[in-house]
Amino acid sequence: MGKKKRGHPDVEELLSRAWCYYCERDFEDLKLLISHQKAKHFKCDRCGRRLNTAGGLSVHMNQVHKESLTSVENALPNRQGLDVEIFGMEGIPEDIVQQHNQRIIQNFYQAQAERYAATGNPPPGQGGKGPAKKLKIETPEEIKKRLAEHRARVAAQKTTMNGGSATHTPLEGRPDGQSPAQNASPGAFNSPFPPPGGQYPTFPAQSVPGYSPPPQYPGAYPPPSIPSRPGSNLPAPHGLPPRPGQPGWQGSASTIDELVSGAAQEGDEIDQLIRMAEARIKPPKKPETPTGAEPPAEGGEKKSKKEKDKNVKMIYDDELSPEERMAQMPRYAFVVEAGA
Amino acid sequence: MAPPATQFELAQPPNDAISALAFSPDSPSRLLASSWDKNIYLYDKLQNSGGEEGSHGTLLRTFEHRAPVLDVCFGKDGNEAFSAGMDWQVRRIDLDSGEQTTLSKHAAPVRRVVYSKEHSLLISASWDSTLHIHDPSNPSLSPLPVPLPGKPHAIAASPSKLVVAMTSRLVHIYDLSALSNALASPSPSAQPPQPWQQRESSLKFLTRAVAAMPSDAGYATSSIEGRVAVEWFDASAESQARKYAFKCHRTAHPQPDGSGSGATTTTTTDVVYPVNALAFHPVHGSTFASGGGDATVALWDAEAKRRMKVYQKFADSVAALAFSSDGRYLAVGVCPGFETGMEDYSGEGRTKIFVRELGENEALPKGKGK
Ligand SMILES: [Zn+2]
Ligand SMILES: [Zn+2]
Repeated sequence: MGKKKRGHPDVEELLSRAWCYYCERDFEDLKLLISHQKAKHFKCDRCGRRLNTAGGLSVHMNQVHKESLTSVENALPNRQGLDVEIFGMEGIPEDIVQQHNQRIIQNFYQAQAERYAATGNPPPGQGGKGPAKKLKIETPEEIKKRLAEHRARVAAQKTTMNGGSATHTPLEGRPDGQSPAQNASPGAFNSPFPPPGGQYPTFPAQSVPGYSPPPQYPGAYPPPSIPSRPGSNLPAPHGLPPRPGQPGWQGSASTIDELVSGAAQEGDEIDQLIRMAEARIKPPKKPETPTGAEPPAEGGEKKSKKEKDKNVKMIYDDELSPEERMAQMPRYAFVVEAGA
Repeated sequence: MAPPATQFELAQPPNDAISALAFSPDSPSRLLASSWDKNIYLYDKLQNSGGEEGSHGTLLRTFEHRAPVLDVCFGKDGNEAFSAGMDWQVRRIDLDSGEQTTLSKHAAPVRRVVYSKEHSLLISASWDSTLHIHDPSNPSLSPLPVPLPGKPHAIAASPSKLVVAMTSRLVHIYDLSALSNALASPSPSAQPPQPWQQRESSLKFLTRAVAAMPSDAGYATSSIEGRVAVEWFDASAESQARKYAFKCHRTAHPQPDGSGSGATTTTTTDVVYPVNALAFHPVHGSTFASGGGDATVALWDAEAKRRMKVYQKFADSVAALAFSSDGRYLAVGVCPGFETGMEDYSGEGRTKIFVRELGENEALPKGKGK
């Protein structure tokens, strides 16, 4: 991060700073942001190569290492998805931009109010009249309204795929067994912000009651007009045809199941943030699932409680094993010969 | 920079579904595959391109059986193999000469064979609900039958233990030295060896696969219901509290809600695949691979409880997995998955074996080394 200026930057200065969609860090300028993203979020953990976008990394991992990129590394828990294509400040969903700005504004005025309380000095140029100057501070009701409009817009865009991803994904693959059902409590895991940790004192849950996570813009981003993206010499991250001779080839993480939290890294403050976020979202331990193994089934009872409410389609569901079923087919059956 | 990993497909794969893969204990270039086409396939020179563009490995020879082969394993060295036959037989195969010897006959198809190097024992598990304990180095000893309370579906040996997963979620853990002793000094009056521990599976659905930790600490099981459990042999409450289970090999398919009237909600259908194969990494003992009906292979860190990797999807279900003894290679057997309600099945033309050469740190749990 850049050095803090002496004194207090004004709110517009804060708002104009480059910031990272994936981890909410801010930077002096776009160049620093881009190199941060390459180093922290788009770096191949196999060969160290730094790509320009998550899509580029996904293609790289598929083609060079034959692996699927499942999530963006070092990202906040609800920002790990690959369905949002970010380059620098481009591609950030509008509602996330708004949330970010609101948070900056709130933090700014809160800090100012604290300074004011501590020093007894009114904020410069405001004569004690309160914060509203050029910038309009939205009330929670206004934010709610705007989000509702936004959601309606997104819902209209949504076609058939990917709609439910935000409530489902990131912990799916964590071996500690947290189920989507448990993740789904809004305001906890799905809160669009990391836990306060002293940094974001008031936002968001309190100021946006009833907020639910934004859908992750399936197919809606990047906007068609993004100029001169340096990754454009890379193959398009989506919709690539399979490479010849690679029967297993698939595009970047194709299923929601694959968008998995991979964020537990050692190291710096981003990771700390992530860990805190993860720690906070962990649902209270229920004795029967996450850490302990499952409870014994009762007789023929098959569906666990939490799955009753979900649509679950088992590809194989039988008391006999597939091999026993196959063994019954004439094609495979072994008939014991007399005297054999 | 570590060299990029490579993955290649073996030339001349089996003609029908793969039941098992096994790497030689003394060479990472030697691989066995057992198939529903009644043959065992021996491949060698896995690292070398076999001439043609993109073709790897050489099929040295095949070993024909009377019926589909349900499992195969290596024995004391890279020249000895054992097979589990649909024809109820357990066979020893001399891979050099091709000579096959019947070690024992069960009263139903033999589902699994596992060899314990530490105890020089071969254990076969049959749908006749017995194990047969063999000492292949002493063919004059007749196999010791061990009755089971249910049909076995998967077995695995750690250095000291044998894990047997059966129908009705039954799991028996045997002490291998006890089995060895019982075989060596048979007494007609003695009752058959008893399990060291009897457990109920941590998973509610039919067990598909079991793999034992090379560290001898525990094992992993998987079920037909997209789930894997990891648990420890140590019976203390403390160790048992560490066991866990998690969902995997599933895909979520959001579907528009049928309630109409402009509702924007979607219901999500989880498609749940069987987890057909598990394998622990022989060097990084906390790392294991799972292969599922969703055509993917994932690497997991059992200790850290996290997923390390998912490899790009294959064209069909993953039926079998094996790590080479040096841990550098992972073999993946791919063929169509058998699904509920199928009245016919064929793996013809879609059965493939991929061998992945792992990057240096690919299977190394994070936070260790690097
Ligand atoms: Zn970042
Ligand atoms: Zn790379």
